[in-house]
Amino acid sequence: MERIIEDFVVAARTAGVRISISETLDAVRAVKVVGYRDRPLLKDAFAVTLAKTAEEKAILEDCFERFFTFQFFTADSSRAGKDVPAPDLLQTESSLVRMLMEEDRAGLIAAMTEAARLENTSQIRYFTQRSLFALRILGRMGAGGLDGRIQALGRIDTPAAAAEKVRLESAKAYLVDNVRTYVQNRYDLFARNEGERRLESELRLVKLSNLEQRYFARIHNIIQRMVKRLNDLHSRRRKAARRGVLDFKRTLRENISYQGMLFAPSWKKKKIERPQIVVICDISRSVLRTVRFLLLFLYGLNQEIARIRTFVFCTNLFEVSDILGNCPVDQALTRIQGGADIPLIMGRTDYERSFGDFRRNHLAAVTRKTTVLILGDARNNYNDPHPENLKAIYERCKRLIWLNPEVPAFWGAGDSEIRQYIPYCTAIRECNTLEHIERLISALVRR
Amino acid sequence: MKSSYEGQFVSIDTVQEKLRDIAYIANRKMAMTVYLACRLGKPILVEGPAGVGKTELAKATASCLQLPLIRLQCYEGLDESKALYEWKYGKQLLYTQLLKDKLDDIISRENGFKSAMDKLHQYDDIFFSWPFLEPRPLLKALQEKNGSILLIDEIDKSDDEFEAFLLEILSDFQVSVPEIGTVEAVTKPLVFLTSNNTRELSEALKRRCLHLYIPFPEAVLEREIIRRRVPDISEQLAYQVVNFIQDVRKLDLKKVPSISETIDWARVLMILHAEILNPALVQDTLNIFIKFEDDVAVVTEKVHLLTAKALK
Repeated sequence: MERIIEDFVVAARTAGVRISISETLDAVRAVKVVGYRDRPLLKDAFAVTLAKTAEEKAILEDCFERFFTFQFFTADSSRAGKDVPAPDLLQTESSLVRMLMEEDRAGLIAAMTEAARLENTSQIRYFTQRSLFALRILGRMGAGGLDGRIQALGRIDTPAAAAEKVRLESAKAYLVDNVRTYVQNRYDLFARNEGERRLESELRLVKLSNLEQRYFARIHNIIQRMVKRLNDLHSRRRKAARRGVLDFKRTLRENISYQGMLFAPSWKKKKIERPQIVVICDISRSVLRTVRFLLLFLYGLNQEIARIRTFVFCTNLFEVSDILGNCPVDQALTRIQGGADIPLIMGRTDYERSFGDFRRNHLAAVTRKTTVLILGDARNNYNDPHPENLKAIYERCKRLIWLNPEVPAFWGAGDSEIRQYIPYCTAIRECNTLEHIERLISALVRR
Repeated sequence: MKSSYEGQFVSIDTVQEKLRDIAYIANRKMAMTVYLACRLGKPILVEGPAGVGKTELAKATASCLQLPLIRLQCYEGLDESKALYEWKYGKQLLYTQLLKDKLDDIISRENGFKSAMDKLHQYDDIFFSWPFLEPRPLLKALQEKNGSILLIDEIDKSDDEFEAFLLEILSDFQVSVPEIGTVEAVTKPLVFLTSNNTRELSEALKRRCLHLYIPFPEAVLEREIIRRRVPDISEQLAYQVVNFIQDVRKLDLKKVPSISETIDWARVLMILHAEILNPALVQDTLNIFIKFEDDVAVVTEKVHLLTAKALK
């Protein structure tokens, strides 16, 4: 039974339930207590010991149904002449033939699962392995003997033998069919999610600008999960109590009630600041996709960031914090691009004018606590870059991080003015995959 | 060591029956979890929406087993001194004052400062011993001779540090008091932790517990609960009340009514001597189970429809 629980745990893990070894041990002990005669009870015992959230419970229950299914070898009415009593032409030496002839469902299932266990079906990984596993299981079950018998019957030239041969052939087809379904079922349990997972890890590394539209929904999912992880990680308020130095003033104050005896010392505590962020995004077509995913990330993290203000620019610059705050990022971006009520000129990208706009109208948004994120390729269409506008922002903020969606080899080539801006950036990063965005954000919210 | 609860809860069905006897209707899953917890000696982490009887399960189990229920309500800033133990500072100070003369005697007999100090050292352990220790819920639960039910309520409200601190108790049932040493459980208490999921609990804590998720009950179960809790209610009214509430839960509300609110409403209807539901009656008593102004508006809009459906 332990072996089966082990396999079940592997299947559940593949389906996405996180199960540790100690939990597996608990499951084994729990099953020993409740027994496995009562199916719903067994399911509940697994749900209680293995799955630790409501979502995981749903996955686990589904997995249980698929794992402990016995829908194989159900009566097949199309089989030829199954109710004719078999005239025993040859001595039945193979138990497989006997079980097939007698329609011993339980026996067949037991033989098949045992064969599958010996062949380590839980190791199946690729869909190309399905036929191989089916063949091996059939071999273990003694399908070779069945074949031999069919051939032997072929050599006897009587009507009874021919009828028997037809019967056996249909029985064989029935057997092969069931074993195939069984292997497919195992493959679904143990390996299908593997492919999904591989695709996901690929998607994290693929260039956002090369991403195909059909993967967008998946990317959104991945972002949601990344954001949740970051939120979980950083929403823990770490108290650095008793780690700082003695807070003498407070110690005196608090010990007045003990007649001034200093026996309850207080310590200075480190205060954790939540970052304030100003995002300035180029939304010309070349950068738009990266902008979209960055904003998805940032606005998912909302609660971790004390204050976030977003400005977009193309030819000129405009603040869009309220639009982004009120509707989902996707809708907001379409509104920003196409909105008639927004005084944004979508002409040639002009970094000089846009940074100038920011300096003139919004410089107050930047304080000593602010992190400024600029996302853009710095392609200024051969205009004068005027880096002094950026310098003014840089001098006011805590740090200024420039995110460039181009690979470093292209920085400064053609009309890219990034070299002019580099002196006024605290850091400059390449930013064109989900990995990059995630790394950046987790660096932002850390501390 | 066979604890007393194992003796009383011999099978899953007994658990279910005994809980039913004291008017707590548990489904088989809940009964099995309690049974497993007794047999495996593991804590139970109970999650689910507010008001489905998470805390009640612990209380019911305690009264079933006739063991003391020790409750620790968690909140932000809860720390060891409030959960585990505290020295009785007042008593210590008082005793030193009272024993001042005695101490003077002891010290004055010695002539050197060093020997007086040595003498004093012989007595200082007295002030850090059991009589001066104020046991808080966790320590109290470990000290109960016949075992106890320890209810750690709303663990999600406490800080991460406290959660980490609980791990030692939950896995080994022992705590260490530096001045005295390690205190082990006399009889392992049966531990219930409840959580409303306001924050994600740590993996380590979840790993140590059996996890029970209590959802809103199905109509049949809820009707049985109502009949048990409000014994005077007529079959017809109970049926209508439960139908109505079940439908309200399907609406898009800020806070859906829980079982405890269904019970309250049923009691109110009993006091008002209602025989059957009608829209006006529902409208008047809506605030018993709907707690937000916006939600009231949503339900009011559909009162006629819902009532008609419940009466069917």
